[in-house]
Amino acid sequence: MTLSSNDTGATAVGTTAAGTTDGPATNDAATDVLLDVRGLTTEFHTAEGVVRAVNDVSFSVRPGQILGIVGESGSGKSVTARSILRMVRPPGRTTAGEVRYRGTDLLTLGDKEMRDLRGREIAMVFQDPQSALNPVMTVGDQIAEALIVHGADKKKARERARELLGQVGIPDVDRRLDDYPHQFSGGMRQRVVIAVALASKPSLLLADEPTTALDVTIQAQILRLLAELRDQLGIAVVMITHDMGVVAEMCDEVVVMYGGRVMERGPVDVIFGNPQLPYTADLLAAMPRLDDVAQGRSLPAIPGSPPDPANLPPGCPFQPRCRMAEDVCSQQVPELLPRVESGHLAACHVTQRGTPIPPLVTAAAADRVHGGEARPLLQITNLRVDVSNESRGLFRRPEPVYAVDDVSLTVRSGETLGLVGESGCGKSTLARTIVGINQPASGTIQVGDHVVGDKSGGDAVRRTVQYVFQDPYASLNPRRTIRQSLEEALAVRGVPPRERDAEARALLERVGLAERHLDRYPHAFSGGQRQRVGIARALAADPKLLVLDEPVSALDVSIQAQIINLLESLRDELDLGYLFIAHDLSVVRHLSDRVVVMYLGSFVEVGDAEAVYSNPQHPYTAALLASSPIPDTAEKNRERIVLGGDLPSPKNPPSGCRFRTRCPIGPLHHPERTICIEQAPALEQTETGQLAACHFAGELSRAGALP
Amino acid sequence: MTRFLIRRIPSVALVLVATSVIAFLLPRLVPGDPAAVVAGPDASAETIAAIRTELGLDRPLVSQYFDWIGGLFTGDLGQSLRFNRPVSELIGDRLVSTLELALLSGVLLIVFGIGLGILAGSTRSRWARVLVEGTNTGLLAAPPFLVGLLLILLFGVAFRVLPTSGEVAVLDDPGIGIQYLILPALALALPMSAGVARLVQTRMLAVRQEDFIDLAVSKGVPPRRIDVRHVLRNSLGPAVVAIGIRFGDLLAGAVVIEAIFARNGLGQLAVSGAQSADYTVVQVLIVGAVFIAVIGQLLTEVVLAALDPRVRLG
Amino acid sequence: MEDTAHQVPETGRSRRPRGGGAWSRYASALRTPKGMAAAILLVVLIGGALLAPVIFPGGYDQQARGALQGPSGAHPLGTDEFGRDILVRTVYGLRTDLSLILTAVPVSLVIGTLLGLAGYVSKPLGAVFQRVLDIILGFPGLILGIMIVLVIGTGWLALFLAIAVAGLPGFGRMARGGLLSEEQREYVLAARVLGVKRSTIMVRHILPNVVDPLLVQASVFMVIAIFIEAGLSIVGLGINPPNPSLGAMLNVGARYVQTLPSYVIGPGVMLLLLALAFTLLSDALNQAATRR
Repeated sequence: MTLSSNDTGATAVGTTAAGTTDGPATNDAATDVLLDVRGLTTEFHTAEGVVRAVNDVSFSVRPGQILGIVGESGSGKSVTARSILRMVRPPGRTTAGEVRYRGTDLLTLGDKEMRDLRGREIAMVFQDPQSALNPVMTVGDQIAEALIVHGADKKKARERARELLGQVGIPDVDRRLDDYPHQFSGGMRQRVVIAVALASKPSLLLADEPTTALDVTIQAQILRLLAELRDQLGIAVVMITHDMGVVAEMCDEVVVMYGGRVMERGPVDVIFGNPQLPYTADLLAAMPRLDDVAQGRSLPAIPGSPPDPANLPPGCPFQPRCRMAEDVCSQQVPELLPRVESGHLAACHVTQRGTPIPPLVTAAAADRVHGGEARPLLQITNLRVDVSNESRGLFRRPEPVYAVDDVSLTVRSGETLGLVGESGCGKSTLARTIVGINQPASGTIQVGDHVVGDKSGGDAVRRTVQYVFQDPYASLNPRRTIRQSLEEALAVRGVPPRERDAEARALLERVGLAERHLDRYPHAFSGGQRQRVGIARALAADPKLLVLDEPVSALDVSIQAQIINLLESLRDELDLGYLFIAHDLSVVRHLSDRVVVMYLGSFVEVGDAEAVYSNPQHPYTAALLASSPIPDTAEKNRERIVLGGDLPSPKNPPSGCRFRTRCPIGPLHHPERTICIEQAPALEQTETGQLAACHFAGELSRAGALP
Repeated sequence: MTRFLIRRIPSVALVLVATSVIAFLLPRLVPGDPAAVVAGPDASAETIAAIRTELGLDRPLVSQYFDWIGGLFTGDLGQSLRFNRPVSELIGDRLVSTLELALLSGVLLIVFGIGLGILAGSTRSRWARVLVEGTNTGLLAAPPFLVGLLLILLFGVAFRVLPTSGEVAVLDDPGIGIQYLILPALALALPMSAGVARLVQTRMLAVRQEDFIDLAVSKGVPPRRIDVRHVLRNSLGPAVVAIGIRFGDLLAGAVVIEAIFARNGLGQLAVSGAQSADYTVVQVLIVGAVFIAVIGQLLTEVVLAALDPRVRLG
Repeated sequence: MEDTAHQVPETGRSRRPRGGGAWSRYASALRTPKGMAAAILLVVLIGGALLAPVIFPGGYDQQARGALQGPSGAHPLGTDEFGRDILVRTVYGLRTDLSLILTAVPVSLVIGTLLGLAGYVSKPLGAVFQRVLDIILGFPGLILGIMIVLVIGTGWLALFLAIAVAGLPGFGRMARGGLLSEEQREYVLAARVLGVKRSTIMVRHILPNVVDPLLVQASVFMVIAIFIEAGLSIVGLGINPPNPSLGAMLNVGARYVQTLPSYVIGPGVMLLLLALAFTLLSDALNQAATRR
């Protein structure tokens, strides 16, 4: 197939047979730049007016390069990717700009030519592998289809599908080729999606948040796979992400988007080392870090929240939140102009004049009030939770499924216990059992002097323990105003009706909102504000202990620091105890005094945060730490432990040590270590002080430790 | 698949047993002496006693029930109180008529329902879609008996091209029989197929929004192939369920359609049985109707499992 | 097309009712074109039915001189086999139909909802009621009617019961489905964790979110109820003569369809108008309930 460009220097794109990648390199510009996006603008025509989601975006990608497009929600990064492949859904339309691929403007191609190019030259990987595969087609057919539509015959396509599945690391290919998507785990599905994308050997891969829906150890697998593909096949990758850590680890160049515009772009080292945009600088500073030693100091936070693309501020989109903003910033949109270092461009009026960005001041957190001796608020002993009762059969009782299996912990006042684990490890079940949403199968939960489950225990627990949910939108009734939600909680506490109004105001003020927010409905708030409301409601019960279930993971990066700071100051001022649950190790590190690492229903490591992070004793902890992306290019080449495989099902846990099926020092790699298969390790004191449940504790600590 | 069907056995059995108990109890729920009601106002005491014996009202309830159920399994369906003939004979005489009607309208329901739905769900041209949607909405608002009357007005009164009353068995004379059958079957099938079509259409529109459609587009699959391979297969499930549920409605609708088109089928038998308190006949017909409805739903689930590997392998 | 999801860039909100009082939302439903048309139609139909004795003081039984006469100035739809005015009987028939559905459907709605929500009080009870509803669901509407007629004979009460019972599974399953999904909502869990009383949680958090789809279902079922009445009456198991109902008129009219088509057209059109009004209403309510 030959495409003629309407430009001078027409270039042939693609080749006649599927499977050959040697794009015709007729002119030098075309080989140097694979994709050149200029002035791309995409608008959505909605009832409320025109929303310019992508505004005058320009960047280019060279063959074999990994380019990161980073931004928060509403920044336009995903729409940019879709615009390149002309896959924006109505009512969206690309209204201006050029997308030159090997010199041909894709925006002017006919539908058929565009279709021929999709998949063969440019392919795409999507965020959510759960929904990106057709549930009624076998994965083999879905991979083969990508070849068949480009002219391959069925037999060859199937042969190639088999080869591709092996290439993306799916074991037992012959059997799995005819399996359906629902028979694969999330990580495996994402590998299938990548195999589909690779089928016709494209030169460019657009990856739209390819690891956001995955756990950190699976994320590490997928990132490594993408890096290998680049190294082996020379594929260029455009990586769309919100995670600065992923950018630092993977990318050669980065484009920072905000409010639909490119605000800064350049080589990764330059941008991480010397950002010229206050937004980039503050965002990097606001991220909690694995090597956080800033205990007792709050995070430097960016105020406000990302703008609604339908309602952008005038001038520079970041100006209302910018600490360096001047008059000119609200009057004039800054141009993207070259900076000192080659290839570095930034759009900022202030730094353009050479004004340096001062470091963000980190306020010292309030002194921690320890009301005398730290007394234990919550004590859990040998707790097991059976979650099998949903599927109770008609005739037989189902086998018990212990999502939480024999765990014990203590939380004291004024202290934060961080609970880390991947999805499915049972951390949320544990949290929900504490507040009475799930019922324990055995073991005790003691709150103060009361045992949960006793008749007298219920009220005592409610007065002492409150819960903050992950998704602040789902946890607020959309039909009730903030005042109604807060006053409901106050009424339960027994606050007389006359005092409730004043009390509700005080609560809102305490979490950083204002009185005028009282009579609004949840939909009128941003994500961060809603989470503040959620916290205020929990505080309304006047608790001593908060169970925080992933309270920041649904929030944008720039908002996370605000909420973490709020939680920190509340803890210190009110002498609250926290059970802080998260999958993000850096967030846990910043807030926690002690840390528990959970795997498949059990605790594998427990100890002081300092000790666990600097000297992990359990191989799983070491692997988690090593898999977490660090937003620092200096860490790019640190040693990584990438765990293979997936989390086993709690319905059928492995014998002996539950981690042995994935353990890098276990029987998989050391067949002589049969003890791991035969005997479950107990949680025991290690040399470095913390507890770990491993027969070979400490063996991997040095490799996984941070420098 | 087999395991899947076995799992359904308890609930199917429950529905069937409950139905048979309800049908069995019906005459006994009648206020006063059902035998007297059956016999009529002028009957002698002996007649009433004979009817009471025929109904089995003089024996303990539980043994009556098991006798009756045993009869159902062995083909002894009892004696009609009104016609003094075995119920099995009465049903046998009319079974073919209703079967013809149900089968043809079932086929029409599937063809029109899914056909119209696909048309409305995949046409690119605004015009075609508006036309199909308009037809759909019109049919949706009209129940079978109104469509039937409309067809009678159109073909029996205005144009007089097809017979609108009576019947000829298709097996006896296919040419003529089908002429008698076509209007009632259309009347029965069209309104229901509109509902099915609406489901297929909305589902197709919803599936189009799924991520896997994006993946298909991004690998370069042409629109027509996307419609067939990706959208359609994922859209048929709800339609199949709807057709299965309407199986029972089809039988019930047949009752009315038979009345309007003067067909002498099981529906008419049930109606006249209800009017003349012919309990033994109606009891059997009720159990039969529910049995067929349940079979229809089971079939649905089999088809659903064939369409969707998540059900099949789940 | 309200079905096509608008893809708003990266800030897509889930489909959820927005805040605001229930009444203002229902009022806004009536301000849409569909809602407006439904309201006007219903006012005209219900008003006409209520005022029938005023408009036609002679009643539905008044006989004119000729039987089975075609439409004329005095009798716009002609006269029936006893020389009674078909238009007058159609309006009185509408009255009968409305008296049925406007009582039977609300009764079915309330009982069905209670059966569906019973699981909130006691899990086993909820499961038992669910089985009962499953069994009722196994009976097609007309078969149910035939059974009821068999026990209590024909008449208004039999139709009332047939409609009320036929509606139970729909309302019950919808209420139970709503209950099960609402119970898992985080704002319900949040209220539980706070220690809000179970009855308060039901009234404040669960019911308001269950009611919307139930109301939509109620207006959908109004249409089905009309058809159940008509279906049973057409086969002769409906209202006893000489009282008119739309279905009963179709029953007799069908015999004269060749000679006097207006005998079926009159009540037929009235049925369609009634069905149309409730269909439009359910569409409007549905839009208001799922509006973003």
